[in-house]
Amino acid sequence: MNWFTVFPLIMVVTLIIMGLYVVLFKKNLIKIIMGIALMQNGANLFLVSLAYREGYVAPIWTSAPSADMVLPTPHALTLTSIVIGVATTALMLSFVMMIKKHYGTINSDEVRRCRE
Amino acid sequence: MNVDLLTQSPVFVLAIPLLFAFLTPLANKVSKELRNAVFLIGLLLTTLFVSLMAYEVYTMGSWIYVFGAEQPTTGLTTQSFFRITFLADGFSVLAALTIIITALGAGIYSFGHMKESNGLGKFYTLFLLTLAGVNGMVLTSDLFNLFVWFEVTSIASCGLIAYHNDRGESVEAALKYMIISVIAGLLLLFSIGFFYGEYGVLNYFLIRDSMTGSLIDILAIGMVMVILAMKASSVPMHMWAPDAYSEAPEPITPFIAITSLGSLFVLFRLLFFVFRGAVETSAIGSILIILGVLSMFIGVSMALKQSDLKRLIAYLSVSQVGYMMMAVGVGFATLGTGDYGIFGARAMEGGLFHMINDGVYKALLFLSAGGIVYVADTRDLNKLGGLAHHMPYTTFFFIIGGLSIAGIPPLSGFSSKLLIYKSVYLYNPVLAIIALVVSIVTLALIGKIFFNAFLGPDQGVGKKIPRSMILAMSILTIVVVLFSLFPNYVVAEIVVPAIEALGVGA
Repeated sequence: MNWFTVFPLIMVVTLIIMGLYVVLFKKNLIKIIMGIALMQNGANLFLVSLAYREGYVAPIWTSAPSADMVLPTPHALTLTSIVIGVATTALMLSFVMMIKKHYGTINSDEVRRCRE
Repeated sequence: MNVDLLTQSPVFVLAIPLLFAFLTPLANKVSKELRNAVFLIGLLLTTLFVSLMAYEVYTMGSWIYVFGAEQPTTGLTTQSFFRITFLADGFSVLAALTIIITALGAGIYSFGHMKESNGLGKFYTLFLLTLAGVNGMVLTSDLFNLFVWFEVTSIASCGLIAYHNDRGESVEAALKYMIISVIAGLLLLFSIGFFYGEYGVLNYFLIRDSMTGSLIDILAIGMVMVILAMKASSVPMHMWAPDAYSEAPEPITPFIAITSLGSLFVLFRLLFFVFRGAVETSAIGSILIILGVLSMFIGVSMALKQSDLKRLIAYLSVSQVGYMMMAVGVGFATLGTGDYGIFGARAMEGGLFHMINDGVYKALLFLSAGGIVYVADTRDLNKLGGLAHHMPYTTFFFIIGGLSIAGIPPLSGFSSKLLIYKSVYLYNPVLAIIALVVSIVTLALIGKIFFNAFLGPDQGVGKKIPRSMILAMSILTIVVVLFSLFPNYVVAEIVVPAIEALGVGA
């Protein structure tokens, strides 16, 4: 086990646990969404760190012999998931804006009209 | 080079709704009529391509659609293992048929129901995007592609739930659903990362062939099961469903239900097609059975105390999901043993037949409830009454849908439930008894809605039901009646090919 392969995974676990903590225990809706964004970053970092091979170069075809490149697929996946993450975060934040307009609060304990 | 529409049909099932999704706002700039026409053409073309795919699968057999291959039927080769693939087989067709019948009903219904709302260009865009997303989820055979369609479905359907954003409740329900979907999507991404890190492939076939059943596999499979059961609104992960179902605009409610059925289709596809060789089938089957029984029982008991019409039907829908999970769970638990030939395969038939049945009659039930809300302008069962004087057609459609969900002979819900009772009884009699009791309570609840909403003195209403809503409900009623009249034909021609496509034919 090499430091370069283990360190990103430690960061992944840290980000996920921080995100989960925020989502589960914070009452502010904006903070919950920040927690989700933390978890998204953790997932992206996880995918990128899967692709890493020590000593290999970035997967750009013109500048490297094919045998010495890190895996390109997770990078493509990560790009897609970053884009999706931006879209979902923006949508959730716009929902929070509307909730603030209707309820006058973004405390998740007080946004409870659906439960009768 | 000529394009063979039949073998190319899987891609059109997605491409057509995607294209028309972005044509509708353009057409909206011109006129309302053109927008509605474009939307309807998009829906009908999608239906056409689903039918073409079904025709090709049932006459010529299934094929793997490889994107970017010279011929769509060449299948996976060593050169194309990283490409995105779609699976056109009996199971995909069963799922796509369920989705498209509901989408047709909901789409035509929305012409009449939504005509007083504004921003309809975006409404129809989101509608077609959700359709494309669910179709993609059930057709794809690539894990990452599954993630993308999963998120497309989540985003589009959340936009639809929050469509009436002048009401705080709609936005609240949408945010709740969105948070759950995003966390589910993240867990899915993690399990995809696990599979990729272990095997370096993302295609269902290649993962299936290389799966070893290691600890990482078990973890990833567990995560995938939790996610998809959550999206399928199975108890104990059902809390988003009643809010989302009841706060969404009425034409969209059956569509949200279809996205959760779509997740259930994906769950069964993954379990049977990909994970089967690497897991302890009896253990996973038991988990499915437990989740199913919990959903059936808790769903129907929560429905008992509801006085909101749509919330009540939403809880009934949660309990119907339990039937499918229980039946397919029995099938999965008995895989590989002698029992599978005796009753496991029957349970599978019942479960999958119940899925297509449930998609259709639940849509009918939600749409006729939407008719009640449209006419009476309230969802409170205590305030409704006497509607049969004003809406004889809707009353009839509600009776058909309601009796079907309660499993009363000779309607289609009975045929699938009978298959489930008979086979599940042989596995464990207690399960069949619970299923029967839940059915009886469902009947009582349908009776409660019927008496409260339709019978009683005429209270007078302001609005008439538009003809397009009647048309949409009649389409669904015709499908329910056809399924009721020819259950043997449906099981033999649609359900059995689906089970064979999963590789577990009897």
